[in-house]
Amino acid sequence: MTINGRVKAVKGGMRRLTVVLAPGLLLAGLLAGCATAPPPSDTADYQAYQEQNDPYEPTNRFFYAVNDKIDRYAFKPVAEGYIDITTVGIRNHVGNFITNIAEPGRLVNFMFEGKPRDAGTALVRFTVNSTIGIGGIFDPATKLGYQETDTDFGLTLAEWGVPAGPYLYLPVFGPSGARDVSSIPVEFFLTPVEAAPESQALNIFSYSETALRLVNTRAQYIGPIDQIQATALDPYATFRSLYRQERASEVQLIDQRNLPTTPDWFSSK
Amino acid sequence: MFLRRFVLGAVASSAMLVAAAGAACAQVPPDAAKTFINQSGQQLVTIVNSNASDSQKADQLRQLVDQIVAVDQVGDYVLGRYINVATPAQHTQFLALFHQLLSYNITYQIKAYQGVTFIVNGSSLMGNDTVVDTTVSRPGQPPADVGWAVEDVGGSPKIVDVIVAGTSLRITERNDYASVVTSNGGQISALLTAMQNQIQRISGQ
Repeated sequence: MTINGRVKAVKGGMRRLTVVLAPGLLLAGLLAGCATAPPPSDTADYQAYQEQNDPYEPTNRFFYAVNDKIDRYAFKPVAEGYIDITTVGIRNHVGNFITNIAEPGRLVNFMFEGKPRDAGTALVRFTVNSTIGIGGIFDPATKLGYQETDTDFGLTLAEWGVPAGPYLYLPVFGPSGARDVSSIPVEFFLTPVEAAPESQALNIFSYSETALRLVNTRAQYIGPIDQIQATALDPYATFRSLYRQERASEVQLIDQRNLPTTPDWFSSK
Repeated sequence: MFLRRFVLGAVASSAMLVAAAGAACAQVPPDAAKTFINQSGQQLVTIVNSNASDSQKADQLRQLVDQIVAVDQVGDYVLGRYINVATPAQHTQFLALFHQLLSYNITYQIKAYQGVTFIVNGSSLMGNDTVVDTTVSRPGQPPADVGWAVEDVGGSPKIVDVIVAGTSLRITERNDYASVVTSNGGQISALLTAMQNQIQRISGQ
């Protein structure tokens, strides 16, 4: 291996190591700041505390404040600039591309969840959109009847019966939980980019894709986030509630969509 | 992706964003709920897309929301378990502030509804509620599926919740308000102060 090759390999290894270790380090940091539970005799307050399931609230709120500053002075201005120079159509195509690149991850997760039909949908979507859809920027699969279905490793664990656990608010990544935090390293390794051999061009593509995903996603949320921050009494608690409900709803949707493994055309014969 | 649908839908349906909550009274037949939501939605769209000034639209929207949303029941649901902790005076003050806050929030969000259209899809019974499914569209945004929970309150149908991608807005509101109370040692007075501060802040903008 050349020196240049070794440097690339070390860089790639460091990147992987960081992604794997980050959630663990964050969890260790969270343990440093725990909320004080109200006494059980204070029934209403104690019940509310239990319902929130946010024992690391002081640390979570600290990271929320940090993210808010980063967002206010970096992400939001960049997203606003991005909106100014792009059309809705372009942003939708970018969204399609981002969705498509994550389909292999969904395929694997659906298989682990024991949902072969959903896994098949993810496979068809990735195949069709990557080819006819020109690398995923168009979404012909939806028009063919293969609607987007969402999942990740946190939802796979939920399907296995793992409870959501305490709420976590992560630096940069935002709302998460003790169960869902495991999605970060898993999703990282389940992208087609990670499966490809290490190269400079691939690294550039990977960083560009990550940056584009962050900016495009932030641009989509710009109105709603402004609205929540302007109208909520406690935006931190509102985002926490929305995150929890949204995750519970996703689990419910996977269960409701629990299609039989035999296709209709086969069973009708 | 579902979160994206949720937040986009939340803006599209934001006329009732804060108002979505309520106490159970009686079920509304699905067809009647559908008709009610269709009529209410048409009224909302007419106001939002009219040529009136923002302040005129805000007044009209406040009147409409008072007619079609069970605001007092929403307020009681949002107060949740603290309704047993609040004194009668605090409860009365809370409901008054809740009405006021709702009005200001509607005013704040008027521009976001511009060009909104909606289609009523179907309705189904869900516990005490009748949920009417709609597709709400705004220019430049993907369509969002929004469910409107309707109950019979005082003999007429009223909206008690808005559900977007399985996310209930009345639960979101309750969690938001409960957090203020728990962060202040279970004091209802802290919630009332936070609501007053919020009203002052929004009205000063």
